[in-house]
Amino acid sequence: MTTVVDSPVSAAAGEPADNNAKAGPAGPAADPIGRLQALARAKTLAADYAEVAPLLAEVAWGENAAADLVRAGRVLSKLSPAAVLEHHPAQPVVKVAVAGHSTVAALVPPLTAELARHGLVLDITLGDFDGYLRELQDTGSQLYASGLDLALVVLDPQAVFDELPEVWRVEDLEQATAAKLAQLDRLAEKYVGNQPTATLVLNTLPLQRTHTHQLVDLRSRAALGIAWREFNAGLLRLAVKHQRVAVIDFDPLVAAGGPVGDARMASYAKAHLGDELLGRYAREVAHLTRTIKALTKKVLVLDLDNTLWDGILGDDGADGIEMATTYRGEAFGNFQRVAKQVGSQGVLLAVSSKNDHEPVLEVLSTHPDMVLRDTDFVRVNANWNPKDANLRDIAARLNLGVDSFVFADDSPFETGLIAASLPEVAVVRLDEEPALHIGKLLADGWFDVLELTAEDRERAALYRTDAARQDLLDSSDNFEEYLANLGVTLTLAPVSEAEVARVSQLSLRSNQCNLTTLRMQPDTVRELAQSPDHLVLYLRSGDKFGDNGLIGALFCTKGGGGSEGAGLTIDNYIMSCRVLSRGIEQAAIGALLAHARDAGLGPVHASYRPTKKNHRVRDFWPSFGFERHGGTDEAPDYRHDLAALPEIPGHLRLDASFER
Amino acid sequence: MSTLTEERFLEIVRDELDLPLLETDLENDFDQVVSWDSLYLLRLVAAVEQETGTRVPVGRLFSKRSLRDIYTTIAGATAGV
Repeated sequence: MTTVVDSPVSAAAGEPADNNAKAGPAGPAADPIGRLQALARAKTLAADYAEVAPLLAEVAWGENAAADLVRAGRVLSKLSPAAVLEHHPAQPVVKVAVAGHSTVAALVPPLTAELARHGLVLDITLGDFDGYLRELQDTGSQLYASGLDLALVVLDPQAVFDELPEVWRVEDLEQATAAKLAQLDRLAEKYVGNQPTATLVLNTLPLQRTHTHQLVDLRSRAALGIAWREFNAGLLRLAVKHQRVAVIDFDPLVAAGGPVGDARMASYAKAHLGDELLGRYAREVAHLTRTIKALTKKVLVLDLDNTLWDGILGDDGADGIEMATTYRGEAFGNFQRVAKQVGSQGVLLAVSSKNDHEPVLEVLSTHPDMVLRDTDFVRVNANWNPKDANLRDIAARLNLGVDSFVFADDSPFETGLIAASLPEVAVVRLDEEPALHIGKLLADGWFDVLELTAEDRERAALYRTDAARQDLLDSSDNFEEYLANLGVTLTLAPVSEAEVARVSQLSLRSNQCNLTTLRMQPDTVRELAQSPDHLVLYLRSGDKFGDNGLIGALFCTKGGGGSEGAGLTIDNYIMSCRVLSRGIEQAAIGALLAHARDAGLGPVHASYRPTKKNHRVRDFWPSFGFERHGGTDEAPDYRHDLAALPEIPGHLRLDASFER
Repeated sequence: MSTLTEERFLEIVRDELDLPLLETDLENDFDQVVSWDSLYLLRLVAAVEQETGTRVPVGRLFSKRSLRDIYTTIAGATAGV
């Protein structure tokens, strides 16, 4: 890597440019807050919005990250979403309404900053002081605004304690918590029933000593502790019970240290939750937003030397590196365990290490102390090429974008390089203290998903069998022979409850092979699957190397869906890119068209809607005999008259059914 | 612990609150200061406490009507230590 980025940051802020010399060739900005303030002063923050996320990435790894993110958030919160959109029409905006029991305005700066870290522009409205009950009740309130993404109802312990009589006994508190929980349950139900888009976000309430010790007898105090935990557990259960209700658990946020709030701020300004805690809450909300907006990371790329083990393989040899038995070695072993734990839940693990390939494979497969094994990784890139090139290579091999990558390395050179050259990669900056690796990896909820599916747990294995397929392809004389030997099977059938979660996930995660990019939460998928006017089909494929799992879905509306003439409208076709070019899409579309013809449904309509990522399926519909029928050149609509149907490929065994 | 000078106080107001203040804003009633609200006061208190290491009598500040009044109250409290 020889590109030296002469930091515009330093130039604008009047800092010497060599401030960046230590951090690697394309090192981080020396003063990211100063740069943000300079952009704001020059009134170019909206135009230069692309700079914001990388600057905040620096802030988030700085020494006073929490306070500095608030500071950065204050600068950014003065920028209107409209101003950003004017310069960057495609920048995603998150529409948030905040209601609370106490003052909630202090949430604006940290939430603005935490969302901007992910390139998400915050469009926020704040409710009245102590207005959360009324606003949940009133379907005309800001919480019910159309197109809202998140309704944050920020609760603090006073929401309960304010409802106690002047002098109270633990029985009063038991009643108050039970009543409050029932009330919130009712309001949550009403909310999701009347607000079709937003996710309602509640939180558990921290219990403080100033509450428990108002009771002097230990028996009552214990009873209070029990009632409080039951209340919090009940709140968490609301997230399990209702679709589109999330509950942020304050226990781990409080346990990270620091006060819940400042008693003076609580008393004078009715700010019961302190800045530090609100900052942590904002981070959780940002990751929840990523989850809902399907921006979840899919791959964790790990360095090896001083990241997964103590020492340098090339210098110290396989016997000299440690991942157990020594003090430091054990810390690395613990980090490996957490990486493996993450990998067991659908996150693909890969290696990018500057090492020779053979010794690395030897260690991964035979070193007695290794927790992670060669079979835990879907790719091992051990070579001497720059790591940005390696990350691109891994992405190409996995058929994923680097924007779905998280990269963890202890070297400031490598983390600086990736931050500068691949800003869409989330970088975890480990350092020389291995005991802190776990905390740094988990400081952000990069891999959070709403719900794990069976495919998630099998994902790594699914990707690994792709290597076996690659071998078959390499040994075949031509592609036809490869397909003939592959033994592809395809099941096409209506979606039932068992498939709802996975189909929703596919609609949220798939980018490249997603014809109209209609994103659907599970309740929407369920609704369509049960509707007599819709046909929602799933695709499940396999071959001689194993099951591919549920890899695609077809969303159709019967009766033309508003376009001229009766018929069938394909609202969307989505498929995992992993199984592209095996004749699966041709078989699925062919079978659907044959069904439309045999059932006399009439012509079939379909559309392509471009996004940044789905250009490779631009000509999907014409390739199956669809003819252009309206729309624009950019966003064409198509029609198939069912005269000549695409052939079902002979190498493939198809099992199609269309009746529930 | 240090006594808070007027210059330093104004610096904190400008830097921490990111408010474009004029010199006269120190004397002006809050009604005439750009977008002043109680959240600014809380942030100012936090910043001053961090700077001086002394607790500020927050409860007395809410009734003050200008930055000058606030400064005088805070300076009185920090000087007494």
